[in-house]
Amino acid sequence: MTHLRTTISHHSWRAHRQQIGTVLAALIAATMIASLYLSVTARAALLGREIQKMEDEIQDVRYQNVDLETELASILSEESMRSRVLEAGFREVSLEEIEYIYIPGYAPPERIAPSQAPHAAEYTFHETPPEYTESLFEWIRKAFEGTAARTARLP
Amino acid sequence: MTSPFDSWRGYLIAAVIALSSLGVLGQILHIQRNPEIRNFFENQKEALSEPQEKVTPERGKIYDRQGNLLAGNKTVYEIGVDVESVQEPDSIAKALVSSIGADYETIYNEIVQAKAAKTQRYLILANYIPAKEGRALLRYIEHLKEESNAGKRTPDLEGLMLIPHLERSYPERTVASNILGFINLEGVAAYGVEGKYNEILSGAPVTITVPNNPNEVDEVPDVPKGTDLILTIHRDFQAEIETLLNQALVDYGAVSGVIVVMDSRTGEIWAMASTPQIDLNQYWEYGSIVSSPSEYNRAISMPYEPGSVFKVLTMAAAIDTGVVQPTTTYLDTGSILVGGSVIKNWNEKPWGMQDMIGCMQHSLNVCLAWVAVEMGPQTFYDYMNRFGIGHLTGIDLLGEAAGRLKIPGDADWYPVDLGTNSFGQGVSTTPIQMLMAASALANDGKMVTPHVVYAMSRENGEYVIPPQIAGEPISAETAHTMTEMLATALEREGSKALVPGYRVAGKTGTAQIPTPYGVYAEDTTNASFIGWGPVDDPRFMVYVWLEKPTSSPWGSETAAPLFEKVVEKTVLFMNIPPDSVREEMAQR
Repeated sequence: MTHLRTTISHHSWRAHRQQIGTVLAALIAATMIASLYLSVTARAALLGREIQKMEDEIQDVRYQNVDLETELASILSEESMRSRVLEAGFREVSLEEIEYIYIPGYAPPERIAPSQAPHAAEYTFHETPPEYTESLFEWIRKAFEGTAARTARLP
Repeated sequence: MTSPFDSWRGYLIAAVIALSSLGVLGQILHIQRNPEIRNFFENQKEALSEPQEKVTPERGKIYDRQGNLLAGNKTVYEIGVDVESVQEPDSIAKALVSSIGADYETIYNEIVQAKAAKTQRYLILANYIPAKEGRALLRYIEHLKEESNAGKRTPDLEGLMLIPHLERSYPERTVASNILGFINLEGVAAYGVEGKYNEILSGAPVTITVPNNPNEVDEVPDVPKGTDLILTIHRDFQAEIETLLNQALVDYGAVSGVIVVMDSRTGEIWAMASTPQIDLNQYWEYGSIVSSPSEYNRAISMPYEPGSVFKVLTMAAAIDTGVVQPTTTYLDTGSILVGGSVIKNWNEKPWGMQDMIGCMQHSLNVCLAWVAVEMGPQTFYDYMNRFGIGHLTGIDLLGEAAGRLKIPGDADWYPVDLGTNSFGQGVSTTPIQMLMAASALANDGKMVTPHVVYAMSRENGEYVIPPQIAGEPISAETAHTMTEMLATALEREGSKALVPGYRVAGKTGTAQIPTPYGVYAEDTTNASFIGWGPVDDPRFMVYVWLEKPTSSPWGSETAAPLFEKVVEKTVLFMNIPPDSVREEMAQR
């Protein structure tokens, strides 16, 4: 019986199989980690490109807004408005034609209100969520700090 | 089980690894210790690091006092090629011919030469392409990509790049062009508000890092755009005044002209017209329209001898010092000797006994020279200095000129200058200087600084520029006396400057024009008028200058009626009811 056990344990093919198994297990683990890393990296890269594309679109929309404001100003320019008014049959008023009416309590505004000037809408952006930027270690540290803080608050 | 070191091969491999490690370590130490190599690698690191991009903020816009856009921006495209990526220069050249009307030979040769030279990575083919054409070309490129993806054979435009950027645009074209100034293709601000407030309008460029690694892509930070400006001018009124001025040049046969309308209480410029106006969207033509920079805005940058409008300052100084009163009389014999030279009236005739109102009414040079002599040079020039003559007003426009007032002690000052300066000869001022000086007469003795910017506005707030008092050269009593004197003088004369329903004060000016030979031209004059109103509560001031009118040389025949037309528009736009209505309202 002792002889048989010694024979089996010292058999060379069994030792090789153990070594191969260990190497294969390590390879599989490495492959899994690499695959996971590649998957996350690929998704992050896609999102990065998406962000770049969206920022280009935002810039394009901004430029279009600027163009539209200038175009609107051209349509409403003094020269354009004057010709439209005259085409519509209006004419300039003379001093003699103006009649002033007294309105008790009315005081015309003395100064300009600057806020009346049109402003382009200002855009604000939310920050990129940390899930897209933080590393695994940062996530573990944050999770650990959160747990520690909750524990500290317990009575 | 045998050890790897049981054979010579194991030792060999270990030795190779050890030597390689030592080599690497040695090289690290070598690089660290050698500054030249270290610098080389640091430069390499810089070159291979993330590219930096300069983000130029959107230039601030300019509005009138009612919020009408006077200067904005519009998108234009820069078209270029990534030289190395270009596969078919022929296709790119053909695409640009059909889309932007470019010259085929030029584009094709430029690309081929750049590819052959291999000295530049990026080649600009065209710039400032209108957005419509640029976007059409982009759509065409997209269309080709779709066709190509569908398996069709399409022209290869690989390497062609369209980069959008902003260009200045002026929706009102010529209106207020002399006030606004412009930005040229190199981005340099010239003249006017654009030039004066260039740094504020342009904002601060920000340099950002553009990551090559998509994992590191982050948001492009918001670059604050330039500050917006709100002007004191009223667009429609400005256009009306420019139309009036241009028509006046035709009516009176003048070479050029200026009209400025200012709020006498605050110094806000409501309108500032100067000829010629230019289309700011085609600013490159201004060189053929304006022969010198001082002609761009004559109101601030073209000093001239103002003539008799200057008499209001001389008389104000004399009344303020008590040298004369409105009722003081003077026997005008038609000439006076000052500094050894004879000074005569404009018609070279005696006007007999006159009070000071009569002297102003008939614009008597002899009388005003006598008043100046009575004051003495010290007092006269002190007052002119306090009125700001010979100094910049500080108006917020680029290119203001100071003019010249010779004073005793200057190498070219002679005693006769006291006499001639008293009626605006031998002294040069700009229209805006005259307005600022005379604002003391219209504003209870307080002189206001003229300005065209009412407020600045950016995302975190607005700043309204407060009116500034530039000095108090005369008392309020003197100011009221002068205003009343000048109003009476106009009424006695039956001036063409009188406005129905409104009492105004003012003074004409007809000045001879000095020639380069040191004498005055015989047949040409500068016709001017300065005035303000309503007399009981002045709110506006108007300055008119017509250069070399040919219909009549006299200010009373040309500038005065133009003043009247300007005031008619002014009271409408400034909502000033006639005197009778205001009196009635005050009584209620």
